[in-house]
Amino acid sequence: MGFGRPCSKTLEPVKVTRRRGVVRLILESVEAEILTGLFDELNDAFESLAPEDAVYQRLYPDGHRDDAAIAAQFRDLTESLLHDERTERLGQCRAEIVASTTTEPGQKLQIGLGPEEARRWLQVINDLRLAIGTRLGVSEDWQPVEPDAPDAQAWAIYSWLSGLQEALVDAVSS
Amino acid sequence: MALRSGTLGALRSGTLGALRSGTLGVEAAAPTIAPQEGAVAESSTEFSADRPWTTVVWNDPINLMSYVTHVFMEVFGYPRSRAEKLMMDVHTLGRATVSTGTRERMELDVNTLHSYGLWATLQQDA
Repeated sequence: MGFGRPCSKTLEPVKVTRRRGVVRLILESVEAEILTGLFDELNDAFESLAPEDAVYQRLYPDGHRDDAAIAAQFRDLTESLLHDERTERLGQCRAEIVASTTTEPGQKLQIGLGPEEARRWLQVINDLRLAIGTRLGVSEDWQPVEPDAPDAQAWAIYSWLSGLQEALVDAVSS
Repeated sequence: MALRSGTLGALRSGTLGALRSGTLGVEAAAPTIAPQEGAVAESSTEFSADRPWTTVVWNDPINLMSYVTHVFMEVFGYPRSRAEKLMMDVHTLGRATVSTGTRERMELDVNTLHSYGLWATLQQDA
Protein backbone atom coordinates (compact mmCIF):
# COMPACT_ATOMS: atom_id res chain seq x y z
CA MET A 1 0.00 0.00 0.00
CA GLY A 2 2.21 2.80 -1.10
CA PHE A 3 5.03 2.37 1.40
CA GLY A 4 8.22 2.30 -0.54
CA ARG A 5 10.23 1.25 2.43
CA PRO A 6 9.95 1.47 6.16
CA CYS A 7 11.15 4.50 8.02
CA SER A 8 14.61 3.55 9.23
CA LYS A 9 14.85 6.49 11.61
CA THR A 10 12.19 8.12 13.65
CA LEU A 11 10.96 11.61 13.02
CA GLU A 12 12.04 14.13 15.57
CA PRO A 13 9.37 16.03 17.47
CA VAL A 14 8.13 19.28 16.01
CA LYS A 15 9.21 22.28 18.03
CA VAL A 16 6.45 24.41 19.51
CA THR A 17 7.24 27.49 21.60
CA ARG A 18 5.18 30.09 23.39
CA ARG A 19 6.21 33.66 24.05
CA ARG A 20 3.98 36.56 25.10
CA GLY A 21 0.83 34.62 24.36
CA VAL A 22 1.86 33.67 20.84
CA VAL A 23 2.37 29.99 20.09
CA ARG A 24 5.00 29.39 17.46
CA LEU A 25 5.22 26.30 15.36
CA ILE A 26 8.72 25.74 14.00
CA LEU A 27 8.92 23.33 11.10
CA GLU A 28 11.80 21.97 9.11
CA SER A 29 11.01 22.22 5.42
CA VAL A 30 10.74 18.43 5.21
CA GLU A 31 8.21 18.47 8.05
CA ALA A 32 6.20 21.15 6.27
CA GLU A 33 6.18 18.96 3.18
CA ILE A 34 4.99 15.97 5.17
CA LEU A 35 2.20 18.00 6.75
CA THR A 36 0.95 19.54 3.50
CA GLY A 37 0.98 16.09 1.91
CA LEU A 38 -1.04 14.67 4.80
CA PHE A 39 -3.43 17.64 4.69
CA ASP A 40 -4.05 17.00 1.00
CA GLU A 41 -4.72 13.34 1.62
CA LEU A 42 -7.09 14.17 4.45
CA ASN A 43 -8.87 16.69 2.26
CA ASP A 44 -9.32 14.01 -0.41
CA ALA A 45 -10.63 11.69 2.28
CA PHE A 46 -13.17 14.29 3.46
CA GLU A 47 -14.53 14.43 -0.08
CA SER A 48 -14.63 10.75 -0.80
CA LEU A 49 -15.04 8.62 2.33
CA ALA A 50 -18.10 6.38 2.26
CA PRO A 51 -20.45 6.80 5.24
CA GLU A 52 -19.90 3.18 6.26
CA ASP A 53 -16.13 3.65 6.38
CA ALA A 54 -14.70 3.37 9.90
CA VAL A 55 -12.79 6.64 9.48
CA TYR A 56 -15.96 8.43 8.39
CA GLN A 57 -17.82 7.01 11.37
CA ARG A 58 -15.07 8.16 13.72
CA LEU A 59 -15.07 11.69 12.28
CA TYR A 60 -18.87 11.89 12.25
CA PRO A 61 -20.10 9.71 15.11
CA ASP A 62 -23.77 9.18 15.91
CA GLY A 63 -25.20 11.83 18.19
CA HIS A 64 -27.21 9.29 20.16
CA ARG A 65 -26.06 5.82 21.10
CA ASP A 66 -29.34 3.94 21.28
CA ASP A 67 -31.95 5.96 19.46
CA ALA A 68 -31.55 5.83 15.69
CA ALA A 69 -34.20 8.49 15.09
CA ILE A 70 -32.46 11.02 17.33
CA ALA A 71 -29.11 10.09 15.80
CA ALA A 72 -30.54 10.68 12.30
CA GLN A 73 -32.00 14.05 13.27
CA PHE A 74 -28.71 15.06 14.80
CA ARG A 75 -26.84 13.99 11.69
CA ASP A 76 -29.21 16.03 9.48
CA LEU A 77 -28.55 19.07 11.64
CA THR A 78 -24.80 18.83 11.96
CA GLU A 79 -23.04 16.59 9.47
CA SER A 80 -22.67 18.82 6.43
CA LEU A 81 -21.79 21.86 8.55
CA LEU A 82 -19.12 19.88 10.36
CA HIS A 83 -17.78 18.65 7.03
CA ASP A 84 -17.53 22.26 5.79
CA GLU A 85 -15.86 23.35 9.02
CA ARG A 86 -13.30 20.56 8.79
CA THR A 87 -12.52 21.34 5.16
CA GLU A 88 -12.20 25.06 5.81
CA ARG A 89 -9.88 24.80 8.78
CA LEU A 90 -7.71 22.22 7.00
CA GLY A 91 -7.34 24.66 4.09
CA GLN A 92 -6.46 27.49 6.47
CA CYS A 93 -3.69 25.50 8.15
CA ARG A 94 -2.35 24.41 4.78
CA ALA A 95 -2.34 28.01 3.58
CA GLU A 96 -0.40 29.08 6.69
CA ILE A 97 2.31 26.56 5.89
CA VAL A 98 2.50 27.67 2.28
CA ALA A 99 2.62 31.36 3.28
CA SER A 100 5.48 30.67 5.71
CA THR A 101 7.55 28.69 3.25
CA THR A 102 10.83 30.31 2.37
CA THR A 103 12.92 29.65 -0.66
CA GLU A 104 16.16 29.63 1.27
CA PRO A 105 17.44 26.11 1.63
CA GLY A 106 17.74 24.84 5.18
CA GLN A 107 15.58 27.65 6.51
CA LYS A 108 12.95 26.65 9.05
CA LEU A 109 9.34 27.73 8.76
CA GLN A 110 7.86 29.68 11.62
CA ILE A 111 4.11 29.93 12.00
CA GLY A 112 2.79 32.23 14.73
CA LEU A 113 -0.54 31.17 16.17
CA GLY A 114 -2.93 33.31 18.20
CA PRO A 115 -5.60 31.56 20.29
CA GLU A 116 -7.96 31.04 17.34
CA GLU A 117 -5.26 29.68 15.08
CA ALA A 118 -3.87 27.42 17.79
CA ARG A 119 -7.32 25.94 18.38
CA ARG A 120 -7.73 25.34 14.66
CA TRP A 121 -4.34 23.62 14.43
CA LEU A 122 -5.20 21.39 17.37
CA GLN A 123 -8.45 20.37 15.68
CA VAL A 124 -6.82 19.73 12.31
CA ILE A 125 -3.94 17.69 13.73
CA ASN A 126 -6.47 15.73 15.75
CA ASP A 127 -8.59 15.06 12.66
CA LEU A 128 -5.46 13.64 11.03
CA ARG A 129 -4.72 11.49 14.08
CA LEU A 130 -8.30 10.22 14.17
CA ALA A 131 -8.13 9.26 10.50
CA ILE A 132 -4.73 7.57 10.59
CA GLY A 133 -5.25 6.03 14.04
CA THR A 134 -8.60 4.56 13.06
CA ARG A 135 -7.13 3.15 9.87
CA LEU A 136 -4.24 1.64 11.83
CA GLY A 137 -6.61 0.15 14.38
CA VAL A 138 -5.02 1.95 17.32
CA SER A 139 -6.13 0.46 20.62
CA GLU A 140 -5.47 1.28 24.27
CA ASP A 141 -2.70 -1.27 24.51
CA TRP A 142 -0.96 -0.92 21.18
CA GLN A 143 2.55 -2.20 20.86
CA PRO A 144 5.42 -0.58 18.98
CA VAL A 145 5.60 -2.02 15.48
CA GLU A 146 8.66 -3.62 13.99
CA PRO A 147 10.62 -1.23 11.78
CA ASP A 148 10.12 -3.45 8.77
CA ALA A 149 6.38 -3.92 9.25
CA PRO A 150 4.37 -2.82 6.23
CA ASP A 151 2.62 -0.11 8.19
CA ALA A 152 5.69 1.09 10.12
CA GLN A 153 5.76 4.34 8.16
CA ALA A 154 2.14 5.14 9.04
CA TRP A 155 2.81 4.33 12.70
CA ALA A 156 5.81 6.66 12.66
CA ILE A 157 3.67 9.43 11.22
CA TYR A 158 0.93 8.75 13.76
CA SER A 159 3.40 8.94 16.67
CA TRP A 160 4.95 12.07 15.26
CA LEU A 161 1.53 13.75 14.95
CA SER A 162 0.75 12.69 18.53
CA GLY A 163 3.93 14.43 19.69
CA LEU A 164 2.96 17.56 17.78
CA GLN A 165 -0.52 17.46 19.30
CA GLU A 166 0.89 17.07 22.81
CA ALA A 167 3.33 19.95 22.27
CA LEU A 168 0.52 22.18 20.97
CA VAL A 169 -1.68 21.36 23.97
CA ASP A 170 1.24 22.13 26.31
CA ALA A 171 1.86 25.43 24.57
CA VAL A 172 -1.75 26.62 24.66
CA SER A 173 -2.25 25.51 28.28
CA SER A 174 0.91 27.01 29.73
CA MET B 1 15.69 16.18 11.26
CA ALA B 2 16.41 12.55 11.04
CA LEU B 3 14.12 11.70 8.18
CA ARG B 4 16.10 11.38 5.00
CA SER B 5 14.63 12.98 1.95
CA GLY B 6 14.37 9.62 0.26
CA THR B 7 11.54 8.56 2.50
CA LEU B 8 9.39 11.42 1.34
CA GLY B 9 8.61 9.64 -1.85
CA ALA B 10 7.02 6.87 0.11
CA LEU B 11 5.03 9.36 2.11
CA ARG B 12 3.73 11.12 -0.94
CA SER B 13 2.62 7.91 -2.47
CA GLY B 14 0.21 7.51 0.33
CA THR B 15 0.50 7.34 4.05
CA LEU B 16 -3.20 7.96 4.03
CA GLY B 17 -3.48 6.78 0.47
CA ALA B 18 -5.93 4.11 1.42
CA LEU B 19 -8.22 6.31 3.45
CA ARG B 20 -10.66 6.33 0.62
CA SER B 21 -10.59 2.69 -0.25
CA GLY B 22 -10.12 1.60 3.29
CA THR B 23 -6.95 -0.38 3.77
CA LEU B 24 -3.72 1.54 4.39
CA GLY B 25 -1.89 -1.73 4.27
CA VAL B 26 -3.59 -2.76 7.45
CA GLU B 27 -5.67 -5.71 6.56
CA ALA B 28 -9.22 -6.20 7.65
CA ALA B 29 -7.91 -7.62 10.91
CA ALA B 30 -7.50 -4.08 12.19
CA PRO B 31 -10.23 -3.41 14.69
CA THR B 32 -12.88 -1.00 13.60
CA ILE B 33 -13.34 1.79 16.04
CA ALA B 34 -16.91 2.54 15.22
CA PRO B 35 -18.61 4.72 17.78
CA GLN B 36 -22.09 3.69 16.74
CA GLU B 37 -21.46 0.04 17.32
CA GLY B 38 -24.50 -1.54 18.85
CA ALA B 39 -26.87 1.23 17.90
CA VAL B 40 -30.41 -0.01 17.50
CA ALA B 41 -32.67 1.02 14.71
CA GLU B 42 -35.80 1.73 16.67
CA SER B 43 -36.80 4.83 18.46
CA SER B 44 -38.37 3.57 21.61
CA THR B 45 -37.28 6.23 24.03
CA GLU B 46 -40.09 7.96 25.82
CA PHE B 47 -39.49 11.63 26.21
CA SER B 48 -40.43 13.64 29.19
CA ALA B 49 -40.00 17.36 29.55
CA ASP B 50 -38.81 17.12 33.14
CA ARG B 51 -36.06 14.58 32.64
CA PRO B 52 -32.84 16.39 31.84
CA TRP B 53 -30.70 15.70 28.81
CA THR B 54 -27.02 15.07 29.20
CA THR B 55 -23.91 15.05 27.06
CA VAL B 56 -21.77 11.96 27.54
CA VAL B 57 -18.17 11.58 26.37
CA TRP B 58 -16.96 8.03 25.69
CA ASN B 59 -13.47 6.64 25.97
CA ASP B 60 -11.54 6.18 22.76
CA PRO B 61 -7.97 5.04 22.16
CA ILE B 62 -6.82 7.94 20.01
CA ASN B 63 -7.58 11.23 21.74
CA LEU B 64 -4.78 12.27 24.09
CA MET B 65 -5.57 12.73 27.77
CA SER B 66 -4.05 16.20 27.76
CA TYR B 67 -6.12 17.17 24.72
CA VAL B 68 -9.39 15.91 26.22
CA THR B 69 -8.70 17.90 29.40
CA HIS B 70 -7.92 20.96 27.31
CA VAL B 71 -11.16 20.59 25.32
CA PHE B 72 -13.27 20.33 28.51
CA MET B 73 -11.66 23.52 29.82
CA GLU B 74 -12.05 25.39 26.56
CA VAL B 75 -15.56 24.27 25.59
CA PHE B 76 -17.21 24.32 29.02
CA GLY B 77 -14.96 26.77 30.86
CA TYR B 78 -14.35 24.16 33.56
CA PRO B 79 -11.38 24.69 35.88
CA ARG B 80 -8.47 22.33 35.27
CA SER B 81 -9.26 20.20 38.34
CA ARG B 82 -12.80 19.46 37.13
CA ALA B 83 -11.71 18.94 33.53
CA GLU B 84 -9.04 16.47 34.65
CA LYS B 85 -11.50 14.59 36.85
CA LEU B 86 -13.92 14.25 33.93
CA MET B 87 -11.11 13.17 31.62
CA MET B 88 -10.01 10.50 34.13
CA ASP B 89 -13.61 9.28 34.42
CA VAL B 90 -13.74 8.90 30.65
CA HIS B 91 -10.39 7.12 30.68
CA THR B 92 -10.99 4.75 33.60
CA LEU B 93 -14.77 4.30 33.63
CA GLY B 94 -15.25 4.49 29.89
CA ARG B 95 -17.57 7.48 29.99
CA ALA B 96 -18.41 10.71 31.76
CA THR B 97 -21.36 13.07 31.77
CA VAL B 98 -19.88 16.43 30.89
CA SER B 99 -22.93 18.70 30.67
CA THR B 100 -26.64 18.73 31.45
CA GLY B 101 -29.50 20.84 30.08
CA THR B 102 -32.13 21.05 27.36
CA ARG B 103 -32.01 18.76 24.36
CA GLU B 104 -31.14 21.71 22.10
CA ARG B 105 -28.30 22.75 24.36
CA MET B 106 -26.96 19.20 24.49
CA GLU B 107 -27.13 18.91 20.70
CA LEU B 108 -25.00 22.01 20.55
CA ASP B 109 -22.50 20.58 23.05
CA VAL B 110 -22.28 17.24 21.26
CA ASN B 111 -21.76 19.02 17.96
CA THR B 112 -18.99 21.16 19.45
CA LEU B 113 -17.27 18.11 20.92
CA HIS B 114 -17.50 16.29 17.57
CA SER B 115 -15.85 19.29 16.00
CA TYR B 116 -12.93 18.70 18.39
CA GLY B 117 -12.94 15.01 17.51
CA LEU B 118 -14.24 13.72 20.83
CA TRP B 119 -16.69 10.84 20.82
CA ALA B 120 -19.78 12.40 22.43
CA THR B 121 -23.48 11.55 22.47
CA LEU B 122 -26.57 13.08 23.98
CA GLN B 123 -29.11 11.18 26.00
CA GLN B 124 -32.08 11.75 28.24
CA ASP B 125 -31.57 10.46 31.75
CA ALA B 126 -33.96 7.81 32.98
